[in-house]
Amino acid sequence: MSLVAKTKTPRRVGFAPFALLVPGTAVLAVVVGWPLIQLLIQSFQEYGRAQVFGAPAPFIGLGNYVEVLTDQKFWNVLGRSVLFCLVCVVVTIVLGTLVALLMQRLNKFFRTLVSIGLLLAWAMPPLSATFVWGWVFDTQYGIANYLITQVSGVDFMGHSWLISALGFFFVAGIVVVWGAVPFVAFTVYAGLTQVPDEVIEAAQLDGAGAVARFRLIVLPYLRSIFLVLIVLSVIWDLRVFAQIKALQTIGGSVADTSTIGVYIYETSLANGEYGTGGAIAVILVLILMAVSFVYIRQSLKEDEA
Amino acid sequence: MRKFSIVAATALVAAAGLVLSGCAAGGSGGSDKAEIRVWLNGTDTPKEAREYLVKTFEKQNPGSTLKIEEQSWTGLVDKLTTSLSGSDSPDVVEVGNTQSPAFTSVGAFMDLTDKKDELGGDDLLPGFVEAGSYDGKFYAAPYYSGARLVFYRKDMFAAAGLEAPKTLDEYVADGEKLASANAGVSGIYAPGKDWYNALPYIWENGGEIATEKGGKWTSQFSSAESVAGIEQLQQVYEKASLAPKDGDETNPQVPYCANQVAQLSAPSWVKWSILAAADSDTPGCPDQEANLGVFALPGKDGGAAHVFAGGSNIAISNKSAHKDLAYDALKIMLSDDYQTILGKNGLVPAKQSLASTLGTDEVAKATAEAAANAKLTPASPKWADVESSQLLQDFFSAVAQGGDVKSLATELDKKIDDILNK
Repeated sequence: MSLVAKTKTPRRVGFAPFALLVPGTAVLAVVVGWPLIQLLIQSFQEYGRAQVFGAPAPFIGLGNYVEVLTDQKFWNVLGRSVLFCLVCVVVTIVLGTLVALLMQRLNKFFRTLVSIGLLLAWAMPPLSATFVWGWVFDTQYGIANYLITQVSGVDFMGHSWLISALGFFFVAGIVVVWGAVPFVAFTVYAGLTQVPDEVIEAAQLDGAGAVARFRLIVLPYLRSIFLVLIVLSVIWDLRVFAQIKALQTIGGSVADTSTIGVYIYETSLANGEYGTGGAIAVILVLILMAVSFVYIRQSLKEDEA
Repeated sequence: MRKFSIVAATALVAAAGLVLSGCAAGGSGGSDKAEIRVWLNGTDTPKEAREYLVKTFEKQNPGSTLKIEEQSWTGLVDKLTTSLSGSDSPDVVEVGNTQSPAFTSVGAFMDLTDKKDELGGDDLLPGFVEAGSYDGKFYAAPYYSGARLVFYRKDMFAAAGLEAPKTLDEYVADGEKLASANAGVSGIYAPGKDWYNALPYIWENGGEIATEKGGKWTSQFSSAESVAGIEQLQQVYEKASLAPKDGDETNPQVPYCANQVAQLSAPSWVKWSILAAADSDTPGCPDQEANLGVFALPGKDGGAAHVFAGGSNIAISNKSAHKDLAYDALKIMLSDDYQTILGKNGLVPAKQSLASTLGTDEVAKATAEAAANAKLTPASPKWADVESSQLLQDFFSAVAQGGDVKSLATELDKKIDDILNK
């Protein structure tokens, strides 16, 4: 009797959560899953502009993958993307955390002011933000050149910020970090309110300085929050598209500044090679899934705890 | 057998019904009431023509409406590929003449072969008919052509004691002179990514973009003639131009109106951007009208130079749900009245018989001269891919930054060969 009850109870409890998952899963399957399957199929086909307009698409096995992986340009683009992503993530997390710590110490008025500023930056679509920053750093009429010339006396008029790859990614980094800091700041600020005051006070009495308190007490408390923030930031920054693509229309060399997201777009849409572009996209999906795996494993661990 | 005849009979009845309903609708064809979406690129098509198109279409097709959706020239090939193949395709699209083969060769456009005579036949600009045809069929009608002209500041020319140059070398020398005489002014405004205006230097020095032999394309940027031309252009970038080395050709009226440009090579319709009223969306400097001179870019040995024959074709999407209505719109755009409006606004009309509508002023004269000697990009369906991969922008931008022409050109040729012979 007791055995029957034991096997039945979990099944009854188990049904409701699954039923609740159905609508979300259905939407995801249609909106994300189906295109993903199509992408996967396409990556094994010869799929060009002619196929887009109805010509038959022959399967060519791993041909697209071989072409991508033996192309030095792909590795250049991937390396550039990873490097750009890492720098952006580090700067974003550090700045976001500093802003959060600042907000903790501000009085109500200034905290609201900072929050509004962060919200506005967060609400701005990446495309608009990129063009505004592009104007700031404009070669002929940008305010950056004007201010630097006025303040330092060094003639920066007509200086092109985007023409070298390094300068391009400096500006692109500003746009990306500027847009990403608010989310990190808000999340860390929320996390900071969870750190018990007594523990901090105790540490203070024991003579721990601000840096030590942050490193030894706050950081361990917020460990899981930071992990999730880092994983999400890596995913966002690795597949960055709009900011780079838009900045390329303002200046700079396309070949030297494309990141993986832009490269997929160029290969697929601009050059009409959907098969090859699909293969690159699948490779990116695999990389992002590997990164997400860390995130999911962490979430599961938290559930257990 | 019996089953077959029923199907056949049904088909006959349906076909008859279609024919009858076609008759009932009269000359204009479609009887549906619908909204037709027309994609026009950039601000090239003047406002007057747009208004005429909407008004005339809606008068001819009571109950139907026509919506013009303005697209950006940048990234147009990408955008057309996605939208023309989708279920939400626009009905009528303008496409750059050099981009047209990318779409006519894959069946993206409706076949207009049997409508060609009605649209103008042999009167249509031949180079553009060729750009819009594939495999003997006619898909995209000529829309307009625009020659590139040189606009200049009469006051700066007078101060330097210059007159309109007679040869390309003189033009370059004038540019350098004007730049050194006027601090902060480009003698020739030459942004690095403007490859359209870079081509005449190659052509005038005897070079080509790419040549075809037995179906195989060979890119020609590293030929001795092309390199000589590109080196002349590099001299312009270094000594005559203050334009951004990674800037492009959009909105040249901004530096022009800021008094930072002495000579500007640009499409003929840029005159109206320069003279646009101060309260328009993209204001110009209408007070400069008397000071604005114009000439056709001179060639190496005098006469007009080979300049890039820019312009557009217009086509109906194969996915259009209202092809009859779309064709009505296209017919209006190729009508004499509509094309006359284009001509009056400095665009070369799609019909040769309307060339006189350009008028007789300086711009018209220069346009006619330049158009007579204009050249096209290689007639390969893959050429659009070369354009959209932005190889040319990167190349000329690197040249503008003082890179070694010969080695950059050799590298570029390899990349273009790869694309054209794929």
